[in-house]
Amino acid sequence: MTEKEKRSFLTKMLHSIQDVIYGMASHDMARQALKTRGSMEHLFILITMGDLLGVPILPPYYSLRLLPYVVPQISTWKRRMLRERDLTDALA
Amino acid sequence: MSLAKVFREHPERRYIMFGGKGGLGKTTFSAATGYWLAKQGKRVLVFSVDPQASLSDIFQRDIFGKGAVEIMPNLYAQEIDADQHIREYQEEIRQKIRDMYGFEEIPDEIESYIQAASAEPAMEESAIFDQVVDIVVAGEFDYYIYDLVPLGHALYYLSMASVYDQWISKITKLREEMREYEQMAARVSRKKELQEDKILEELQDIRYRISTSSSILTDREKTAFFFVLVPEEMVLIDTQKAAKLFAKYDVPLSGYIVNRVIPPEVALSEHAPAYLRNRYEMQQKYLQEIDNLFGDEVLARVQEMERDITGLEMIERMAQIMFGEEALE
Amino acid sequence: MALVVLIVAIAIVVIGYKFYAAAIDRNIVQANPKKATPAVMYNDGVDFMPASGSVLFGYQFKSIAALGPIVGPIVAVQWGWLPAFLWLMLGVFFIGWVQDYAAAMMAMRNEGLTMGGLAYKFISPRARGILLTFLYFYLLLIMGAFGAVVAGLLANPVVPIGLLILTLAGVLAGQMTYRWKMDLVMTTIITVLIALVGIWLGTTGPAQNIVKAINGLAGTGDKHILYQTPYGPMTWPVFFWGIVALAFCYLGSVLAIWRFAQPVNYVSFWFVALGLIGSVLGVAIAAIFGTTDVAFHIPAFVTWNQPKLGWLWPMLFVTISCGAISGWHSLVSTAGTARQLEKETDALPVGAGAMFTEAILATLAVIFAATAIAKPDGSVIYDANNMYFLKVKAGAVWMYGMSRFLSWIPGISPAMGGAIGAIFLAVMALTVMQLVLRFMRVASAELVGDKIPAFKNPHVGTIVAILFTFLILWTAFWQRIWVLFGGANQLFAGLALLLITIWLANEGKKYAWAFWPAVFMYITTVAALLVVAWKSFQAMTKPDIGAAFAFGNAVAGLIGLFLAITAIVLAYDGLKSLSKARQKAAAQAGD
Repeated sequence: MTEKEKRSFLTKMLHSIQDVIYGMASHDMARQALKTRGSMEHLFILITMGDLLGVPILPPYYSLRLLPYVVPQISTWKRRMLRERDLTDALA
Repeated sequence: MSLAKVFREHPERRYIMFGGKGGLGKTTFSAATGYWLAKQGKRVLVFSVDPQASLSDIFQRDIFGKGAVEIMPNLYAQEIDADQHIREYQEEIRQKIRDMYGFEEIPDEIESYIQAASAEPAMEESAIFDQVVDIVVAGEFDYYIYDLVPLGHALYYLSMASVYDQWISKITKLREEMREYEQMAARVSRKKELQEDKILEELQDIRYRISTSSSILTDREKTAFFFVLVPEEMVLIDTQKAAKLFAKYDVPLSGYIVNRVIPPEVALSEHAPAYLRNRYEMQQKYLQEIDNLFGDEVLARVQEMERDITGLEMIERMAQIMFGEEALE
Repeated sequence: MALVVLIVAIAIVVIGYKFYAAAIDRNIVQANPKKATPAVMYNDGVDFMPASGSVLFGYQFKSIAALGPIVGPIVAVQWGWLPAFLWLMLGVFFIGWVQDYAAAMMAMRNEGLTMGGLAYKFISPRARGILLTFLYFYLLLIMGAFGAVVAGLLANPVVPIGLLILTLAGVLAGQMTYRWKMDLVMTTIITVLIALVGIWLGTTGPAQNIVKAINGLAGTGDKHILYQTPYGPMTWPVFFWGIVALAFCYLGSVLAIWRFAQPVNYVSFWFVALGLIGSVLGVAIAAIFGTTDVAFHIPAFVTWNQPKLGWLWPMLFVTISCGAISGWHSLVSTAGTARQLEKETDALPVGAGAMFTEAILATLAVIFAATAIAKPDGSVIYDANNMYFLKVKAGAVWMYGMSRFLSWIPGISPAMGGAIGAIFLAVMALTVMQLVLRFMRVASAELVGDKIPAFKNPHVGTIVAILFTFLILWTAFWQRIWVLFGGANQLFAGLALLLITIWLANEGKKYAWAFWPAVFMYITTVAALLVVAWKSFQAMTKPDIGAAFAFGNAVAGLIGLFLAITAIVLAYDGLKSLSKARQKAAAQAGD
């Protein structure tokens, strides 16, 4: 192992340790906040792009203007709206 | 009070509207007012949001969907082609999606959404609305003369502005709350950089445009709204109703213009048929009623012309009648 | 001896991970790093979000390591330390990691379904309902078992004030991060310091006097006996602090998660981490400068039949619930981790890795328990004259142990060390209890909310769950609750393994490595539950017992019986599905 390889190995180790500590200490908090944000995002898509479900709510001219930004979320949003939810989902 | 005086005393009223039932001469007044103001050296835009607009007819030029067209020095006219605008807009959205995500083609689901949204009846209304905002916000002219669609539509247009505004406020708030949670997560996972929320920016822009436009419409300082009516019973009743509704939306009324008044020298001449004389007498009755109702808010009485108002020559004559001879030179 | 046991444990764990688990991951399950996982495919920012392997290892480990690996071994050494150690090693090697890892894998390969959806898909529609009902009672037992431990800890005068201040520091941490938007490092340092100072304050005279006054409220002294049971008295302090512990969980369940549960758990985590680091440091200092007594006081083998708890088989196997195998982990693996794994190949280090690491932690607890025989003041912990019966609460064993190591660090008094140990254990239990109570609330709303609309109100669901927990706490014999919880926990693991077996059979993969563990867990835990139920009913019929005790035992017995019966129904449905899956696989092979 050269000096450089050693150093990159060490930084990698350090990063992994940081990740593990983050995973134990605060990952769940971050995840919960993102979850809340995510479900609001889906509410947002529902009220702006409601046409996808046949409910026009936003003036269509403006909903088109927002469309490019929600393109990636549309399929996951639809999937989540249609997916049957299970009680055990709520754990963890 | 005369029309010319209103314009002279209130140079800050840069947004001019003529409202009233269809076929009473709103377009004629818009064109004539534009002509008069242009002659005074102001840059004026007369524009129409009516899909069956008649600006092309009155100026005897095809200006439909061609942007602001110069009719004579300082006078411009524009007819909005909503369909064309929607088509261009759709393409703009598609291009944005292609650019943002490097798509060769728009995914079916998204394309069908674009199609469906454009087929909505409200699409045309909101497209026109947005284009008007574009025109007004650009601020290139001293005066903007709205050739409004008939009354009901005008009210719809106004109410749409307030509904949009409320609606956008709500989703902007939701979006801001989402931002809070995103920042929470970022703080907890110690991520420094957060991407800007493009949607929030767009919403804030949309909101700015809508509130600018609707505040202009309801701003007594900047807006002059004239009701056009003719001395007939039905029109009089409708006008009173409309005036109440406009008051509800806080649209400031600058005055009334009475059109199609039969000149006494015609009606009372010896050769005039009884039919014309009867009509004249009926008009006199309603003119009296109009004066009683609106008093000095009646700014002008415009006589019935012997031919259609088309072409600059006729427009000039109309302007003379409306604003008085002296004002034109 | 302690060192030898630890080295053997590490060796077994490494072999198990490197050879057995890795081989199954590679050859049978065939984890494919290129295959898109649900977290990546469905990344919806709500249920599915990818995270890196090392982050998830931390997440999984923290979620699975609670009281189980600590309390289980402390109770289990009453049969001798060797049986406890052997079960830990064999359990984790052949069963524990299999469940944690394969549950995550199964969920990932089935669009991120969780246990309920998986039971519906692989066993039968009614299996989902039965499983959810089972889950409710299982969680209730977690509440009871952990609640009993916390109540015992809080009854100690040095504990409550410190825990209260730690809780307030947690609430402050939530306010600082979410409302005042302060930097997390700053928030952490300030609030953890407040918590530590608070714990010190709690050990001072005035604070202790407050608690002692509360403990003496019921009358005669601070150990007022409310009623006698054949296993010892139910005292006022334990009764009272049990209510306080459940009130704490109530707040965690009904308040917005970022207001209470989350930040309190966050501060608790750092406190626990510091406690562990401190203990290691204490051991190191003791090894260099002093002498620590690390000889095993408990014999390798004590008895086949522990008088109070029962036969070594099946009871020992359910006593050590985490560490060897735990059904709780299958819930974490499916609902939490499987929906975040960004690569299939991460399931091995996360699922199996965290489980093997936990087995080491449990081994440490065995060593801890086996070396502790008496408190510094000479009072007995494990009674050598009475089949090494554990005379104190498990919390006390841990407190004493931790204090012994921590007090080697200059500036930490034995009282402070004890308080740290007690609060350490209490917050670990409370973290899980809050999550469980929150879930029970959601579960009761979903299960009976349609028939009894009141349950849709979060307060009603929470309070009902708390009342159930009280019934169990009233039995006063926490070791009985512990084995009942252990039985339910292990049986849930058996269910998870059964599901895994059926899934593997459906996929046409080899399944013996999951099937036989499932069979073993099933037989062992159903037997254990029946034994507990029998013993509870027996205790009920004894003369001169309090009504609460009788009632509590009746409830405990009924729950045990109920869990055993539902498990048998599920096994019946499961085996039918298994044979169908086998026929299908055989038919496909024949084509």
